[in-house]
Amino acid sequence: MDKVGIVGYNQVKLYTDANYGRYEMIFEAVRGAIDSAGLKKKDVSTVVSATNDYYDGRTISNCFTVEVGGAYLADESKVEMDGAHAMLYGLLRILSGNHKLAVVWGGSMPSSYPYHSARLYETDPTWERPNGYVNDITASGFQMRAYMDKYGVSREDIAKVAVKNRKNAAKNPLAVEESQNPNITLSNVLESDIYADPVTELMVAPPCDGVAAVLLAPEKQALKITDKPVWITGVGWNQETYYLGERDLTTSNSMEKAGKMAYDAAGINDPRNEIDLAELSELYAHEELIFSEALGLAEKGKGSQLSSEIGGELPINASGGAIGGDAPCATGLIRIIDAVKQIRGEAGEYQVNNVNRAIATGQIGMCAQNNIVYVLEGGK
Amino acid sequence: MSEKIIEKNKGLVKADFSFWVGLWMDKFYDGFEQKKILANKCPQCGTVFVPPRKICGKCKVQLPLDENWMELGDTGTLVNFTRTAYKVTDRRARKAKSLNDIGMVKINGSDTAIIYPLLDFEPDEIKIGMDVKIKWADEPKGGPSDIEGFVNV
Repeated sequence: MDKVGIVGYNQVKLYTDANYGRYEMIFEAVRGAIDSAGLKKKDVSTVVSATNDYYDGRTISNCFTVEVGGAYLADESKVEMDGAHAMLYGLLRILSGNHKLAVVWGGSMPSSYPYHSARLYETDPTWERPNGYVNDITASGFQMRAYMDKYGVSREDIAKVAVKNRKNAAKNPLAVEESQNPNITLSNVLESDIYADPVTELMVAPPCDGVAAVLLAPEKQALKITDKPVWITGVGWNQETYYLGERDLTTSNSMEKAGKMAYDAAGINDPRNEIDLAELSELYAHEELIFSEALGLAEKGKGSQLSSEIGGELPINASGGAIGGDAPCATGLIRIIDAVKQIRGEAGEYQVNNVNRAIATGQIGMCAQNNIVYVLEGGK
Repeated sequence: MSEKIIEKNKGLVKADFSFWVGLWMDKFYDGFEQKKILANKCPQCGTVFVPPRKICGKCKVQLPLDENWMELGDTGTLVNFTRTAYKVTDRRARKAKSLNDIGMVKINGSDTAIIYPLLDFEPDEIKIGMDVKIKWADEPKGGPSDIEGFVNV
């Protein structure tokens, strides 16, 4: 694969209820990414966004975001998945050889719509949706119980992830305020309200308003733009079957296959020792453990034994991860940005020492039906 | 200056969808009217589907409309469950006054699980692997709500 570099990025501060409109938010993210690379609108040759018609409350949701997304009379298209999937499309546009700079952005504002109601529209309208028993809430409970039951993992092991990520979020100025808690304890998490047992409220990535953007460029162009490009050296993606009742929820087969595809491209044989940091889109605490196992960072059922805090053996979600704020359609892209910040040494208080190779993931669908994995590396 | 919020645009567009369930699910819901569970089986891998499928995704073959059907009983095994504080049938997902138990059940003889409420269980009584039985609506109408939930055998 030809080298493609991430040459700029920007993420807005996440809010439970942002006190400004979505267009200003998109503009701030995209304009900020272009400014961060010292470029101008005229340098942008292709724009790919990630939004969702249900989340935006209109069809063809990108039709209104042309100007703020930097796509005024430009080559533009949309992916109705996570921003991490939009980046795949942007990457392919650059690899086509026809473009010198791609803007990829994603995001939404759950403060303006009932988030769980929109998620219910993922279910089968002829079978599960009319009753509403299957939704993102109950699905999270099934997923956590399946994982615990198979491997004998305790509620405490899973609550530890929420404690770590909420403490990490306290060091990340862009995380949502409600998630930032440097003094959170295991019992705070375990005794928080039942969400979908065994999942408790504080194990959940809270939906919040936010937009993120990155800029991609081919190798030659990337080196002209910045002396700190971050290279995409591997990408893999995979999708599993639709109905929850047919799936193995004790693990993530799609993440395992996506990881293998990305590792093969990047020449990684021993991920646990060859990767310095991981940013995973965990929408629930247990998903971080399921994903780290599927990605070969820990043995099956032993994700909780990995030393994954900042300063640990393999830091996971040093930024606070999605538990630090889940802006639908932006969350995977924010994981990529946080990995880029770590490689460039721009992560501030949550900076991990000597990160040269990191992975970042995005997901979409019930119980992370579809996963995408990137391997990102520094150096010239 | 105050914050102006447009709630929704009443009356301009009404977009209620009417989905036809298709021939395979027509047959399945016809069975519901008789309080019967009809399953179908992939001719290639032998997976037994409830609800029936038109296509086996693994084998990428069509399951015939007129063959490979079987009638299953109304008992099954609980393979997973959750208890939620949210009103599961409420589209805005507001908190409920009491907790709801939702179970994933494999009807005996099938390979795929279906998801319905667990009715009248004591909290400590619910265990993965236990036998449960369908509680049918008194007057089934041929739709997904004909199964009210699962009860202890």
